[in-house]
Amino acid sequence: MSQNEINWPAALRATDSGEQAAAVHALREQLQSGLRIALNGRSDVSEAHLEDFAQESLVRVLDRLDQFQGRSKFTTWAQAIALNVAFTELRRKRWQDVSLDELMAEGERLAGPAMMADDVLGADEERTRLVAALRNAIEKELTPKQRAAILGELRELPFDQIVALLGTSRSAGYKLLHDARRALKRRLHEAGITAADIQNAFD
Amino acid sequence: MKKKEQRLTSEQVGSIVKMLGLTTDREFNCAECLQHVSEFAECQLANKPVGEVIVSVEQHLALCPECREEYEALMKILKSE
Repeated sequence: MSQNEINWPAALRATDSGEQAAAVHALREQLQSGLRIALNGRSDVSEAHLEDFAQESLVRVLDRLDQFQGRSKFTTWAQAIALNVAFTELRRKRWQDVSLDELMAEGERLAGPAMMADDVLGADEERTRLVAALRNAIEKELTPKQRAAILGELRELPFDQIVALLGTSRSAGYKLLHDARRALKRRLHEAGITAADIQNAFD
Repeated sequence: MKKKEQRLTSEQVGSIVKMLGLTTDREFNCAECLQHVSEFAECQLANKPVGEVIVSVEQHLALCPECREEYEALMKILKSE
């Protein structure tokens, strides 16, 4: 039987311990093989890392078996979870030295004139006007945490790292950012400026 | 983060604008995206039309660089099979 023909959820839940162990082993091998392809060429990933990621992913997949709805192949669903496990850990290691104070201080500067580099504005009056409106919206509408979170995103900090620094949960962090984006959009809309206006000015 | 990186570039201002342009009242978060991204990836690979739910995946991937990175890695694996 090929791996595509295996009824994975049933095999992983099998009461026959031999059948279940074989399915667990096969899935771990498949996840590790996929991770090897996805992370090929990264200098920060060794074979030992791949083994650790595969093992942690396997545990996560088994925990979430009830969430599999059969809308894709089981292995595609499981591989997506494995990639999430691996990339989350790699991002955490890369950004572990960033501090909350640093992020909050930079977030505060987001509303200040020093935050925009000269090449953003140039001599273009329309750009200057639109960026001023954007900066005003950031200053008036956002809380310090929202500014810090947006700054973190712009700096390409991992979302997990941002919420950890802000001391909040993932869902609360997502709401914080979503509310911030909605507030900025509304404020600019009230000023008669659409996102397209700004986009056009910077294209 | 180094001091010299503290000013926003045109690209970063563009990122804020892009985020605002894609912002809607109801959006998938990362967990919801992860739950449905496998279906989205298989549809993309097979050139099949995407349903309403996975349109939300596409919108989230446009906004979230981390989920997009994981999606692209998933596509790399699927294309190698």
